[in-house]
Amino acid sequence: MNQLPLWVEAAVAALLVLSGLFVVISAFGFLRLPDFFLRMHPPALAYTFGSWCVTLASILYFSMIESQLVLHPWLIIITLSITVPVTTLLLARVALFRRRAAGAADTPPPLTLRRDS
Amino acid sequence: MPLAALLLLPFLGSVLTALLPTRARSELAACAGFVSAGAAVWVISLFPRVRDGGVIRETISWVPSLGLDLVLRLDGFAWMFAVLITVIGALVCLYARYYMSPEDPVARLYAFLLAFMGAMLGVVLSGNLVQLVVFWELTSLVSFLLIGYWHHRVDAQRGARMALTVTGAGGLALLGGVLLLGHIVGSYELDVALASGDRVRAHPLYPAALVLILLGALTKSAQFPFHFWLPRAMAAPTPVSAYLHSATMVKAGVFLLARLWPVLSGTELWFWIVSGAGMTTLLLGAYIAMFQHDLKRVLAYSTISHLGLITLLFGLNSSLAAVAGVFHIMNHATFKASLFMAAGVVDHETGTRDIRRLNGLIRSMPRTGALALVASGAMAGVPLLNGFLSKEMFFAETMFFSAHPSVEVMLPVVATIAAIFAVVYSLRFGYDIFFGPPSTDLPRQPEEAPRWMRTPIELLVLSCLIVGVAPTISIGPSLAAAARPVVGGTLPEYSLAIWHGFNPPFVMSLVAIAGGVLGYLWLRKHQEQGRLQDAPFVGRLNARRLFESALLGLTRLSRRVLRLAGTRRLQTQMFTIIAVALLLALLAARGVPLEWGDRDRLPASPAFVLLWVIGAVCAVGAAVMAKFHRLIAITLMGGAGLVTCLTFMWFSAPDLALTQIVVEIITTILLLLGLRWLPMRIEGISRPVTARDRMRRGRDLLLAIGAGSGLAALSYAMLTRPAPHSISPFFLSRALPEGGGANVVNVMLVDFRAFDTLGEITVLGAVALTVYALLRRFRPPPESIEQPHQQRAFPADVVTDLVKPRTAEDAARGYMMVPAVIARLLLPVSVLVAAHFLLRGHNEPGGGFVAGLVVAIAMLMQYMVSGALWLEARARLRPVRWIAVGLLLGAITGLGALAVGYPFLTTHTAHVRLPLVGEVHLPSATFFDLGVFAVVVGATLLTLTALAHQSLRAHRRPTQSPASSTSEGTS
Repeated sequence: MNQLPLWVEAAVAALLVLSGLFVVISAFGFLRLPDFFLRMHPPALAYTFGSWCVTLASILYFSMIESQLVLHPWLIIITLSITVPVTTLLLARVALFRRRAAGAADTPPPLTLRRDS
Repeated sequence: MPLAALLLLPFLGSVLTALLPTRARSELAACAGFVSAGAAVWVISLFPRVRDGGVIRETISWVPSLGLDLVLRLDGFAWMFAVLITVIGALVCLYARYYMSPEDPVARLYAFLLAFMGAMLGVVLSGNLVQLVVFWELTSLVSFLLIGYWHHRVDAQRGARMALTVTGAGGLALLGGVLLLGHIVGSYELDVALASGDRVRAHPLYPAALVLILLGALTKSAQFPFHFWLPRAMAAPTPVSAYLHSATMVKAGVFLLARLWPVLSGTELWFWIVSGAGMTTLLLGAYIAMFQHDLKRVLAYSTISHLGLITLLFGLNSSLAAVAGVFHIMNHATFKASLFMAAGVVDHETGTRDIRRLNGLIRSMPRTGALALVASGAMAGVPLLNGFLSKEMFFAETMFFSAHPSVEVMLPVVATIAAIFAVVYSLRFGYDIFFGPPSTDLPRQPEEAPRWMRTPIELLVLSCLIVGVAPTISIGPSLAAAARPVVGGTLPEYSLAIWHGFNPPFVMSLVAIAGGVLGYLWLRKHQEQGRLQDAPFVGRLNARRLFESALLGLTRLSRRVLRLAGTRRLQTQMFTIIAVALLLALLAARGVPLEWGDRDRLPASPAFVLLWVIGAVCAVGAAVMAKFHRLIAITLMGGAGLVTCLTFMWFSAPDLALTQIVVEIITTILLLLGLRWLPMRIEGISRPVTARDRMRRGRDLLLAIGAGSGLAALSYAMLTRPAPHSISPFFLSRALPEGGGANVVNVMLVDFRAFDTLGEITVLGAVALTVYALLRRFRPPPESIEQPHQQRAFPADVVTDLVKPRTAEDAARGYMMVPAVIARLLLPVSVLVAAHFLLRGHNEPGGGFVAGLVVAIAMLMQYMVSGALWLEARARLRPVRWIAVGLLLGAITGLGALAVGYPFLTTHTAHVRLPLVGEVHLPSATFFDLGVFAVVVGATLLTLTALAHQSLRAHRRPTQSPASSTSEGTS
């Protein structure tokens, strides 16, 4: 196995540590935040940032070690940046719907609630 | 191979006509007619070879290792039958061209007619008894299709079903009889059987074999008490009736009697059964025929009666009677075919077949009338026509038969009475409709039939006349050739002269004709006064009703047994399946100690243990939640699935993990779609939990724990043993050098065991189509028809950003707009991922299966965010076509190897240099994998969207009672 330059190893390590940090912070937030709508954010953000960091680290590491660009992990980044917002949005709408159906006082009404005559 | 070609010709013609356009009447008739006429000429040209007792034999070896050969055998008797089948078949084809209406899909009719001709030829040409039974059953099947040709009519459906039930059951009995006969003789060859008559008759199993074989023959020939299916079969188009009930189908029964006459006849048992059934049928058929008002029904009962006559002749154990029987088979075929055709002409030109309404037709259709009169004369046994000759021989036989005195007296009397009846119904058929004042109230103005429609009748009637006037010259040689094999080689003395002098048979004929004319006049007088419309005395004795109530009883019995032994409750079924499986496993493991193997264990890693704890919690949680919170249960199951997936990753099985995760996603979507149609569970149980309930729950729990832990123990015992020496080293060592791929799993799937994979994708396609077909008929339970309560949260007329899926054309509105727009971006990305998996599949984890599932998931995602209507209006998915293309691709790739001289599905690897990309490693297995990919995409989409579409369909509530539905209809 050929030896990688030190700066590459340092960068990969930093990215991996960063991703771990994101995940720990989000787990902490997930525990501590009081409300569903608040609690929704940490996993979404951590999921995105954490995975991005891991993917970038993998791209860097394998590109250097195989001495050619390994770009297909980039698909993971693209996929996640599409699916995570969609999932989060849908979860939020479901929570909103359930809260409205339960008749909670502090929820705003639907956008256009009108009765066609 | 003249016989094999002869047998094949009608079947080829059948396929050919089935491929022609269905309303090209003339082309179809020409095609079918030329095929039958060609076959007829072919058969007739073989006459010199069978004339003097010669036999043509052909053996085609089929499965030599099992001693199975196709044996074709043509002797004089089979020759006579083959001529009848092909000649009358050709005439029927010509006749059907003019009889069938332009609206009828006649391609089907001709295809079935030719297939039937082939099946009949197969019966008469068989030189092997089992082969004969196979063709025999084939005639039953094809006759079912022919009788049910107008399948929208209830009488056709019932008639076809009844014919199939009776003749098919008879065929089963015949198979049993033939197997017994083969056991007695020691061979299924017809020649061997024909040569060992004495041995058969002396064998203790002879009565059983005889009764079974006779059951087959008598059901086919519509002999009492199985005669009732024949009148019902009149629902068939007239050309079909003319063919089935003159020369073929019903004649197969008497063919069998004659064929096995040298083997089986000559005993008391044979005499009593065969002649008893024949005599009863002769009399009963003729009696009922007199009182019918439908032209075709008169002919149907007269056919039954004439078949009874033939059966009686074969039952008399005298070779002279057997010759008379063979003669009457020929005569009956000619005059009955022409009579059916004439009845068809009358029906076609006047629009009715009711004898009471038809009168004086001789003025409007003189030629048809003349032909019908001559043919009915032959049926009545008028001198100078062919029916007279064989009837005379029959009378002679009854006169000179020697047996018990009572039989000796009864036989001529019965024969004369039946002949009187025959004259009566012949007069009703011929005289009644053609003479008298012309009827005025007919549905159609009668006129003469087209020239070519009359031609087949003319030819048949002409042959009746020729045989009747000059029998020795015209029919003598053929009759001798046909009768010789039946009586075992030596013909008895007989004379075909018209005039034998003033002897008892002639007196009987005179009495019959005179009595018939008087009886006809008497009957007509009574019927005109409204009396004797139905046959007296036999109204109660309705075999058809007996048959139907027997069937009904059988159905009821089976339903009761099903209710007793079966269950529709899922719980019981699951309990039984698992309990039996556990029991069998325990039985199998008896005596084998369950020990752990001695393979080196890996040290447990805390992370992995934690992972499995999570997985176990998810699994147990799913089981706990499954009762009332199905959604949570499904979510937890997904968690357990993810843990499985991670386990595969942990143990370095990336391809398994990949497959597991996509399958997990698809399964979850499937379950979620199904969830919509399950009724809500009621949480509070009104009645208290009894001790019995607790017992049951405890029992189920014990069973579940037993089965689960047993399976776990088994897998542990397996996994702790070293892997046995199997074929895996072979695959591992050969995959790269010989399969050209580094991913051994994929090389196995698309190369080493590609034929298995081809079979599997075929099954997958078939399953998807089946699911689709079943869901088309899906009716949800009444409590699930309502929209789910989430969708009912707002009144129907409220416009909100919460779009109601059932009414929304485009679900991507309101709150769904943002996710939908983002999710649409996912489609190209997913397709790219799928392409990546597909292309690298041969060397790295991936492959057509995973790629197909990825594309299917991407499409399902679009369904979810945009709604089915929006998506299907824009993307034409056509999953069925995907399946078809995939299967074709797989098969064609395999055939490609065949084309260059390698075994089916051999892989060839090419190295192609493409611009920009460089050297590409392109095995032909990639195309096969592409086929797998397409089938998986199609099958998954078809199954899941079929289920998803249920939400779009408007489901009607089942109406509570017929009364409420009618009141709804009128209001």
